[in-house]
Amino acid sequence: MANPVPVIDDISLESLYADPYPSFQRLQRDAPVAFVRAAGINLVTRFDDIVQIERDFETFASSNPVSLMNRVMGHSLMRKDGEDHRLERKAIEPSFRPGVVRNHWAPRFRVIADDLIDQFDDHGATDLFGSFAAPMASLSLMEMLGLRDVSWQELAIWSQSLMDAVGNYGQDPEVIRRGQVASDGIDAAIEVVLPKLEASPDPSIISSMLQAEDKHSIAQIRANVKVIIGGGLNEPRDTILTTAYGLLSNPDQRACVMEDANLWSAAFEEAVRWISPIGMYPRRVTRDVVLGGMQLREGDQLGICVGAANRDESHFDRPDLFDILRPKQSHLGFGAGPHYCAGTWVARQMVGAIALPALFGRLKDLRLDEAAEVKLGGWVFRGPLSLPVRWSI
Amino acid sequence: MPKIIFVQPCGTRREVEATQGNSIMEAALKHGVTGITAECNGSAACATCHAYFEDDRLSQLGAIEAHEEDMLDFTASERLPVSRLSCQVTVTDAMDGMIVRLPESQ
Repeated sequence: MANPVPVIDDISLESLYADPYPSFQRLQRDAPVAFVRAAGINLVTRFDDIVQIERDFETFASSNPVSLMNRVMGHSLMRKDGEDHRLERKAIEPSFRPGVVRNHWAPRFRVIADDLIDQFDDHGATDLFGSFAAPMASLSLMEMLGLRDVSWQELAIWSQSLMDAVGNYGQDPEVIRRGQVASDGIDAAIEVVLPKLEASPDPSIISSMLQAEDKHSIAQIRANVKVIIGGGLNEPRDTILTTAYGLLSNPDQRACVMEDANLWSAAFEEAVRWISPIGMYPRRVTRDVVLGGMQLREGDQLGICVGAANRDESHFDRPDLFDILRPKQSHLGFGAGPHYCAGTWVARQMVGAIALPALFGRLKDLRLDEAAEVKLGGWVFRGPLSLPVRWSI
Repeated sequence: MPKIIFVQPCGTRREVEATQGNSIMEAALKHGVTGITAECNGSAACATCHAYFEDDRLSQLGAIEAHEEDMLDFTASERLPVSRLSCQVTVTDAMDGMIVRLPESQ
């Protein structure tokens, strides 16, 4: 007999933001599916339960009639299931293929990384959040989308405004307004590049949408570009910072990776596992079902905590430690199932093969700035909020 | 139901009854065959359901689409001429008795 889903009253959003891992660990042990009142959603924290969910999109749907995301961005592929989702995903695939990434996008990412490092001031100190990780992610995403004449700062503001609006459960009017400004700005930026991309196709994402066998409508282009801007900027930014933070805090591992460049990819994957940039995402239960011994009901809203699953002790040895030398193992940092991160291979190149080796290779004696504090925050999305470093000139 | 024989890198064989219309990847997961990870559950996005097929039966597998073709260059174990992503291979009656070898790593 399945148990009813327990209600947890003593986990606050503030504590989740500051450090979600103790709460995740407790939920995993005592209540692997639990209604956390502060979040207003049923959190799922065990690795195996999440894999079960992602192998069954008919029972655990991404589409959601009450989705705030649909209101902010339009109906994107992230909130579609089955054939509707498959066709849109297939349309953008050519821009994200690992071979295309390596041959077409990687050389551009390399120029972006080197330009940014060239611009570092000569005091031997910087906060990598604003001087490197954020512009690296933003400029790379801009190239991939095919947008022109937009500053990296503007794209980053759009991304943040959209994400804030999607999480705006309190209906704060100022957040709604900024979300609308971002949405309008993106629609206008798309309008500017459409004629050129229609006339001369290229490997960019918007171009792929236009060239697909099932060509995107303007509404589909707008919604999917917005979801890609919302979901494709902060994640590589945060992973650049998390990987750098992990290596700078663990000199032995850093020495290993400087010795053997093949380890950069392991460092990247370990960072995505250790502090997953997307820690939680939603699913909706479409029929009564038992999960992890708990009885779920049709209509229940789930929060899939991959940030927790990636520290599940039944899958990972000493999961709280950053260890690039741990045995290769699947993690859920890119999600699983049909919505598996489309940008996985982009991030592997941009972050693991280009941004980090450039940073550690070019800046002599790169180290954490002992006078400043590294702050991390978030549980739905998580990463360093700043990463002040020094190097020798 | 066509029988598919999965062979681990160490040589262990496991014969399973596959359902026509499913993918080889689904047949492996359904029967708990180890060695197929399938992180993306059949979207051809992760390259973790790589498998080696029988050389003289490749024509039974259906064509490789552009996306799979690209992805196959990025498998964890070496790509061979008999490599496919098992999520992109649909089980048919003609495949009865087919041997599918699993790679060292995914």
